[in-house]
Amino acid sequence: MKLKDIIQPLTIWKRVAEEPWTIKDPLTERPGADNYRGFHQNDFAKCIGCGSCEEICQNAAIDLVPVEGQEVKDGNSGLRPRIDYGRCCWCALCVDICPTGALTMSNEYTWIDDDPEVFRFTPGADKTKWQDDEKGYSRSEDIALINFDRIEMEEKAPEDRDKSFIEIVKGYNKEQAMLEADRCLECGLCTATCPAHMDIPAYIAALREDNIEEAFRILYETNPLPEICGRICTHKCETACALHNNGEAIAIRWLKRYIADQIPAERYKEVLGTEHLADPKIGHKIAVIGAGPSGLSAAYYLAILGYQVKIFEALPDSGGMMRYGIPEYRLPYDQINKDIDYIKSLGVEIQFNTRIGQDIPLEDLHQEYSAVYAATGLHLGRSTRIPGSDNSEVYFATDLLRKFTLGQDIPVGKKIVVIGGGNVAMDITRTLARLQNQKYGKVDITATSLETEDIMPADREEIVESREEKAIIEPGWGPQEIEIKDGKIAGLHLIKCLSVFDENGAFNPKFDANEKKFFKADMVVESIGQGMDLSYISDELKEKIKMGPRGRIDVNEGFQTSVDWLFVGGDIIKGPDVINGVANGHIAAKAIDKYLNAQKK
Amino acid sequence: MKEKIDRLRKMVNVLQVVEKHPDLYFITLEGNQLVMALGYLKNTLNFKHLAFMQAVDYLEDNKFMLTYMVYNYELKANLGVNVFIDREESSMFSIHRLWEHAWQYQRELYEMFGIDFPGSPRVDEPFIMESWEEMPPMRRDFDTLAYSQKTYFPRPGRETNDPKEQMKKAKYPNYPDSPKIRRDDE
Amino acid sequence: MNKISESKYKDFVADRSKYPEMENGKPVIDLDSHKFTKIWQGPQHPGVTGNMSVEIIVNGDEIVDAKTHVGYLHRGFEKLMERRRYIQCFPIVCRICVPEPDTNEYCVSAAMEDLAGIVIPDKAAWLRTLNLEMSRVAGFLMWLGGQAGSLGMGAIGQWTVAMRDYWLDLFEEMTGGRIYHMYMIPGGVRKNLPLGFKERVLQTVDRTYKLLDDIERVFLNNAIAKSRLKGLGIITPEMVSEYGIVGPTARASGIADDIRINQPYLKYAELEMKMLTSNIGDAYDRTELRFQELLQSLDLVKQILNKIPENGEIQAKLPNVLHWKIPAGQTYIKAESTRGEHGFYMVSDGSKYPRRVFARGASYTHAISVLEKLAVNITISDLAALMVSLHTCPPEIER
Repeated sequence: MKLKDIIQPLTIWKRVAEEPWTIKDPLTERPGADNYRGFHQNDFAKCIGCGSCEEICQNAAIDLVPVEGQEVKDGNSGLRPRIDYGRCCWCALCVDICPTGALTMSNEYTWIDDDPEVFRFTPGADKTKWQDDEKGYSRSEDIALINFDRIEMEEKAPEDRDKSFIEIVKGYNKEQAMLEADRCLECGLCTATCPAHMDIPAYIAALREDNIEEAFRILYETNPLPEICGRICTHKCETACALHNNGEAIAIRWLKRYIADQIPAERYKEVLGTEHLADPKIGHKIAVIGAGPSGLSAAYYLAILGYQVKIFEALPDSGGMMRYGIPEYRLPYDQINKDIDYIKSLGVEIQFNTRIGQDIPLEDLHQEYSAVYAATGLHLGRSTRIPGSDNSEVYFATDLLRKFTLGQDIPVGKKIVVIGGGNVAMDITRTLARLQNQKYGKVDITATSLETEDIMPADREEIVESREEKAIIEPGWGPQEIEIKDGKIAGLHLIKCLSVFDENGAFNPKFDANEKKFFKADMVVESIGQGMDLSYISDELKEKIKMGPRGRIDVNEGFQTSVDWLFVGGDIIKGPDVINGVANGHIAAKAIDKYLNAQKK
Repeated sequence: MKEKIDRLRKMVNVLQVVEKHPDLYFITLEGNQLVMALGYLKNTLNFKHLAFMQAVDYLEDNKFMLTYMVYNYELKANLGVNVFIDREESSMFSIHRLWEHAWQYQRELYEMFGIDFPGSPRVDEPFIMESWEEMPPMRRDFDTLAYSQKTYFPRPGRETNDPKEQMKKAKYPNYPDSPKIRRDDE
Repeated sequence: MNKISESKYKDFVADRSKYPEMENGKPVIDLDSHKFTKIWQGPQHPGVTGNMSVEIIVNGDEIVDAKTHVGYLHRGFEKLMERRRYIQCFPIVCRICVPEPDTNEYCVSAAMEDLAGIVIPDKAAWLRTLNLEMSRVAGFLMWLGGQAGSLGMGAIGQWTVAMRDYWLDLFEEMTGGRIYHMYMIPGGVRKNLPLGFKERVLQTVDRTYKLLDDIERVFLNNAIAKSRLKGLGIITPEMVSEYGIVGPTARASGIADDIRINQPYLKYAELEMKMLTSNIGDAYDRTELRFQELLQSLDLVKQILNKIPENGEIQAKLPNVLHWKIPAGQTYIKAESTRGEHGFYMVSDGSKYPRRVFARGASYTHAISVLEKLAVNITISDLAALMVSLHTCPPEIER
């Protein structure tokens, strides 16, 4: 034993004089680190109640509960996470996954209470002293547990597409579709926003599991036009997507298209289990007026319910606005046919070139058919009624699009102005731009709308693609007069539009007459909305039908009019778009089924 | 490493070799040649250190996979030895004579998976789960959730809502379900 | 190479006269003979490292037989993970070792990355290395206090635990948590370093050096510590592989095996460090070696701080973690914890959930096979010192 080993330990005594290392009052002198994972905070302005926090919590510490004052609205379930601190392990996975960044953690770590119940609370709703604390844990911008960026969709380059009507969007390949499907959080917020309430998370999940057939069956549960909707749906669902708040929404529409594209037409019956449909001849006979989306949807659901369905269509082919309104570069005809041919294969008969009201009176249909579903759509153009709009060189967009599809020649001016900012306006702009390109080798077309670009009703990509195809979009102008010189159009006078809607949200545009603009033109197309043509309903019948506001037919929630055998749906009731039509048709089909079943008894 | 495995091949039937990393290989052997192979690996090929032995339950194949992880100090490399054994009345040769601590793993596997190692010291002594009466808990058919629900009581007042269902309730409660397809046999 | 012959216990011969006869190398113990007493040391005992107990049979104050009992904090992590999505595993594993959770985090994240084929960004690897090395410092400080405490030197335990708290402050700043850091998320790490963090780490490193200076004087160069620890629990080089002994415990017996050097992971290959070994293999030797490793870790922390790149990504792109599936396969990822080889064996079957996760901790053998062997023939008073000198941590055993 060395002496050193005995002496050295005695230096411990020097510590007697040392300042203590402890702090006197830890609660005030020792706040948590800036990054501390303390008690939760929830910013209700951001929270959408998607439940991703509940989903990822590995302790099942989170419940989703309704909270007073938090309403259910599009893209927001109104539910808020309630956290049970008896289970929470402060791992902050809930914070990391939160797609909106609403859920964070404060740096508060002391909380003493003799009531155990308070340790289960809803951050944001139950007042806590740390709710508005700035410090604490939040997801670093540098990391992500989910993918906020959409898998890019390949499109034909503008120079490859601006002369032809070949489909622009290429569609996902398998790898892309899988990656895109992987982004889905399965919160289901989108389902409420979809007018047809398609089970979007379920078919995306089936796709992710590489079970295309199951995904396809789920599509048909609520939508018998997946090829069509997979291309041109207004995809309101994507605005409700949880990822839309902080990144790009799931490309729901493209995934739907991918699923439908994978199943060849000849396998439809086998996959959907309709190979041995009950013989419709034993069921009631039902007439549908109009082979547009709503009529087809009703016909489909009636057919699988076992009814014998016949559709009467005024035009020489089926599809309604889908064929005669939407240009082929957006929705190729063979895809329309794929969906409709399947519906036809279920025994649905379509009689073309038959205009009810003219060729067959509506009342006569009732003699032969137990019920009638009228989905006649909006086909009449609406005029701005500004001076000069009665000139023969002023056209309605819908008329031009229909004629073009029918293969008739349509006039193509050298310098065209389109009035309107909706999808139809973009359709006619881009169609005419292509025709100009074919005819004159250059594009000179301007589309102008009342709405400024941020509130233009057309889809964003439509505006972007129109510009790529060298069309000029000039939003925020109100048309005043079409100048006519020697019976020919010289151009369109406009004034600045300051606002379109008043504070009540009603259409009431305000203008600044001092700020003027003039577009030279030799042809003007009006595309400011469409009207319905109800002339097929005889005056006698009209008297029996209860009408609602603004000349619309009043229907109950099953789209039944006050004349019990007549059901009316589609754009003339709700919309206008394909997916609303599909939803109407579905609801009406079930309502007709219920009506007829009730009659039997 | 390859050379060592080639030498091992001369002794036993090596069913599969997987190179995960240059210093981590997995080989699959036949169960009845395992002890011989491990002895050869340890004493001749210098895989002296047994890092662990464990079992993986492949319930659907009715098999257990046993993994013996050995390490060679000179090569600085790990070799995982896999053998598959039957899940029913599972039993395996003991290696407690090769490594002094192997009995521990064998005792744990007996308790957690119900794999018997005849001859292994203290193999049937309870290790962690004293007075455990259920099936060996690491078997995949042991349902932890059911067990905890049976054994403990949940805190009252816990209820949750599904966002999708909640929105349906609030916004479209009467939207029709897809009609059942009416077939000719109905 | 073994220098047991140099230790002061070279002449120690157990007095066998009081023992019953030996059979197969073990004494025949007949409790009814009233020559023996059975004592439970633990699970509630200050001299036991964590929740375990040693059932010892003593003759006088000499231990003639010892059995380790665990099971006091079995939480079934491995089983729970079979029902967790991959991402949900990472908050669980840190709980496998309280004083040093980061090794678990690293291993489980790295195993997932290995199976899924994800390569983490450079900066994330540096941050992980820093985190691991800091946790080694904190772990060693905890152990050092325990080692001194086991000999009744409680003051040192208070110093080191207080110093560890300064390290926990740093962890709190870096990761958001003091004990369970949950920092190494699969794909990388969760946060960049806060502003001014490097300076604060360096301050704490300096402070720790100063404390260790004191401790070296007061504890390592202490006649009492030396007399109690020298010759206690000698592990021969032959025992190392027979008993699966790893880490400083093995290196103190002359086995030059440190995973950080022999199979460098993360950024250890870019750091300067030398293999620390010793060759007596008794408790004092292990204590001294660990003390040297603690100093080495402090040096590594300083090296790492100099080398961490300023900019760079901290997480590789992950798929949506809610339905992250990892292709079928198996891997074994190991890292050097303060106790030695700490590894995770992970088997995936292509589903969202791991098929099997096994955590291999050094204590599994150290606290059972090794302890049961070494505890025989020592006195009760030395048992705690022996246990701490093997640096056992029971949660590693029961996972």
